[in-house]
Order: sequence, then C-alpha cells, then structure tokens
Amino acid sequence: MLMAPPMATLDDLQAIREYLGLNKSLPEQYWTFLKNSTHGDFGTSIHNRQPVSKVIGERLPNTITLGLSAILLGISVSLFLGVTAAVKYGTWLDSGVKLIAILGQALPSFWLAIVAIAIFSVWLGWLPTSGTGGPDHYVLPVLTLSFFMLPIMTRLIRSSMLEVLDSEYVKLARIKGLSEKIVVWKHALRNAIIPLLTAAGITFGTIVTGAVVIETVFAWPGIGRLMAESVVQRDFPVVQALVLLVAIVVLMVNLLVDIMYAYVDPRIRY
Amino acid sequence: MKEDNFWAKITRFWKKLRRYPVIPIAILFVVVFFAIFANLISPYSPEEIALTERLTPPFFMSGGSTSHFLGTDALGRDVLSRIIFGARVSLSVSLVVIAICSAIGTILGMIAGYLGGGFDNFLMRFTDAALAFPALLIALLLGAVFGPSFYTVVLSLSVLGWAPYARMIRGEIIKLREEDFVAQARIIGSSSARILVKHIFPNIINTLVVLMTMSVGLVILIEASLSFLGVGIPPPTPSWGSMVSDGRNLFARAWWISLFPSLAIGFVVLSGNLLGDWIRDRMDPRLRQL
Repeated sequence: MLMAPPMATLDDLQAIREYLGLNKSLPEQYWTFLKNSTHGDFGTSIHNRQPVSKVIGERLPNTITLGLSAILLGISVSLFLGVTAAVKYGTWLDSGVKLIAILGQALPSFWLAIVAIAIFSVWLGWLPTSGTGGPDHYVLPVLTLSFFMLPIMTRLIRSSMLEVLDSEYVKLARIKGLSEKIVVWKHALRNAIIPLLTAAGITFGTIVTGAVVIETVFAWPGIGRLMAESVVQRDFPVVQALVLLVAIVVLMVNLLVDIMYAYVDPRIRY
Repeated sequence: MKEDNFWAKITRFWKKLRRYPVIPIAILFVVVFFAIFANLISPYSPEEIALTERLTPPFFMSGGSTSHFLGTDALGRDVLSRIIFGARVSLSVSLVVIAICSAIGTILGMIAGYLGGGFDNFLMRFTDAALAFPALLIALLLGAVFGPSFYTVVLSLSVLGWAPYARMIRGEIIKLREEDFVAQARIIGSSSARILVKHIFPNIINTLVVLMTMSVGLVILIEASLSFLGVGIPPPTPSWGSMVSDGRNLFARAWWISLFPSLAIGFVVLSGNLLGDWIRDRMDPRLRQL
C-alpha cells in the first residue's frame, strides 16, 4: 500500500480501491486502461497526483533534444572513424579505431559518465556536473550517450566499408581517375551504408537504454530518469505509459528504417 | 645473431601467445576462481561494516594500508572483498540467463526453421520486435512489478534474451534442412523429432557455443546497469554495478570505491568479448558479420 497511511481504516482502503478502479475485475480494468490510453489518458501518477500525460509531456522534450544530438554525433563520429579505419586498413589508425571500439563495448557506460564528470566538472571545473541549462550542460551527457552506439556502429561501418572498397565498381571509379575522396565518400559509402540502416534501427533501442542510465547520472530531467525514478517509487501508471510510449517509438523507428531501405537502395521493392 | 637471440625468442613466444587468447582466458579463470572460492580468498566479509575505517584509500596511497588492499567504502566495507564476492553475482546471473536463453532460443529456432510456414512467420516477427526492444526497459518494468531480486534480474534478462538465439538457429536450420543427410534420415523413416535432435542439432552446436560466449559480456553489462540503477541485485549483496553506484557521489573524494568495480566489469566483459571473437573465428568464421 503506497497511498494509505498505516492506520488507515478498512473504509479508507475501500475508497482508495474504488478511486483506482481496483475493485473491478482484471479484464474490466484492462479494458478501461485500453479505452483511456487510446484517448491519451494514462491515468494519474501515484507519486505526485498529476496526470501521467502531463508528467511525461514535461520531460519528453529534454530527452528528445538529448537523444537526437547524441544520435547525430554518434552517427557522424562513427562514420568518420569507421571509414577512416577501412581506408587505412592495417595501419596503426585502423588498430587504434578497433581498440576504441573494443574497449567501448566492454566498459560500462555509466562509469564513463562518472569519470567524465569527475575529470571535466569536479577537477577541471570546465563543465557543469548535472542538470539542464545552457549549451555547456549538453556536452557531457551527449558525448557519453553517443558512446552507447559508437563502438558497434564503428565496427559495422568498418567491415561494411572494407567489403565495398574491394568491389569492382570501386576499382572502376578509381580507374576512371576520380579523386580518392569522391571514390570513398560518394561511391563506396552509399553502398556501405545499406546494411547499417538495420543496425541503426536496433541501436536506437540502445540509445533508449542509454538515456535511462545517462539521465540518471547527470540528473537530466528527461523521460529516462523519470522511468528509473518511477520504478523505484513504484509509480505504476507512469511506468506503464512510458513502456508503451517507448515500445511504439522503437517500432515506428524500425518501420521507418525499413521504408528508408527502399529509398536508399532502389533495388529493394516491397 | 647472438645478440638478438634473446629478443627473437621473446618475439616468437609473443607471436605464439597471440594466436591464443591467453590473457582473456587467464582473467576469466581468475574471476571464476574468485567466484567459487570467494569465502576462502576474500580478506573480510563483504557485508561487514566498520565505520571507524570508512573511506580508507587503497594501499599505494598515503593513509592506505595493506589491511584494506583496495580501500574501503563509505560504510567501511572492504572494496576488494566486495569485488571478489561481486564476481559471484555477475557470473551466476550470466550463467543462468545464458542457459535459459539458449535453451528457449534453440528449441523455438529449431522448430520454426524446421516446420517453416505460419509458426515460423509468427516467431520471426516476434523476434524482430524482441531484438529492437530495449532489454533494460523490460527489466525496469519487471523490477517495478516484482521488486528487485536475483530472480527478477534473471527473468527480465531472459524475457527478450532468447531472440538472438532463435533468429540465428533458425537460419542455420533452414540451411541444414535441405542437406542430403537430412533427406536420407527421413527416407529410412526417422521421425521429425529424431532428425532434429540426432542429426541436425550436432551441426548447430558450434553456432550455439559462439553465441553463448559472445553474450557473456552483454549479460554482465546489463546486470551491472540494472544494479547501478537500483533495480538489480538488492543490497547489501555486493554487485559490481551497485558498487559503482555507491561510489558515484564520492568520486572526487574516494574514487577507488567505483573505479575498481568498474575495472572489474570492464576486464571481464572485454575478456568475454575477445574470447567470443576468437572462438567464432576458430569454429564458425561465417558468423563474422555479427
């Protein structure tokens, strides 16, 4: 019992049950949930007695800006690293990128965030430790969040690029006398990117996971931290609504990825 | 010639060593050893609180002593002992989760791949969703419903964890299904179940072992993240993830509380991944694209 004081009478309990609709049968409760949630009504947060949609709505923009900037940064950095490693295959640059990727996959990202705070905020005092505000508040969360997708994406881009660089049409493009820059970044990359789209869809899920961890570490008022807090506080309506929301977004992103396939690669038709 | 003989020997030895993942195996061996004999090895009890000795630094810093090798945390608990006992949590969670996931995934994947048709279609759409869905969210949800415990962690990591196995095994079965030896087994009158278990299964063991080794690191990382967020293994049981979380706010003053457990996570996950890569290259290079 999260809502009643220890000395509550049976009548009080009954009133709370009725208020929450817990006196109805399970199918009935589920039906009410379905009916209300399609109207955007996810009930009331147990913790602060506000409508769930409002609680989430207040926090959602923060997560979207954080997540989008992390994804953009992650994709551009991993593209750069992956392509460079593939072009310089077998050199120290390649091994360096490989090392970063392997280490990045093994180190817990929350630890990276803590170390980043300790170095840049506590010791050097360059950046704020947590919360939102000016652009300097974005630097550490975005950097650490993008690290959730960086290692996997870099590895994939590298191997996919290696395959493409070995193909006949890249050879042809070189024979035609095109500059190395155009061959790599225009001819090769366009084909190397196709297998990456699926990966990008799946890594979107890891960004969501990352948001929960990173927002908790940086006290970022987004839905990731809301999720972690609500779980600890047993605020079921909020957890329920968030899981539903994230599930829908993740599935939509993956659908979008499938549609983009046909756009990027005209050979694919549904 | 005589002068570089020594160096040549070392280089040759190093090259030989590099063909086998000696360091990862050594690290994993040590961790398994720690986990099994934790109560014999660790200098203190991991839950013993000694407030007079709180925040003792590790032995190599001023104020530290060899009695608390890696220092103590905010409650005076010995960090080294907690790391040694934490190995138990990480290893037991990953062993149980991987056993459950690989069993469910293999069975479903085999059936789907062998039967094809409606069940296959349904299962593959289901795995699509399961692969895309963030595992941590399910874990948080179950953590909220059942409360944090060892079983909740295992359950929530297994709910979606079988999907990669099912996907991979199904692909293998579809290839194997068309092989001559399967047709021959059918001709001599073997039942479908017998064909799957006796003839097809031995051919997917390699793939299975590769997948299992490669997921050790992932499972340990997710368990650590869950414990870090407070919905994993409940205190006072030492888990590497919750130890990092404990030391989070003290990082500037007592960095050793969270640094050493995170190094433990890093080394173990890294070793698992490297060993997985090596086994994959040895047993089944076709899985490279993973």
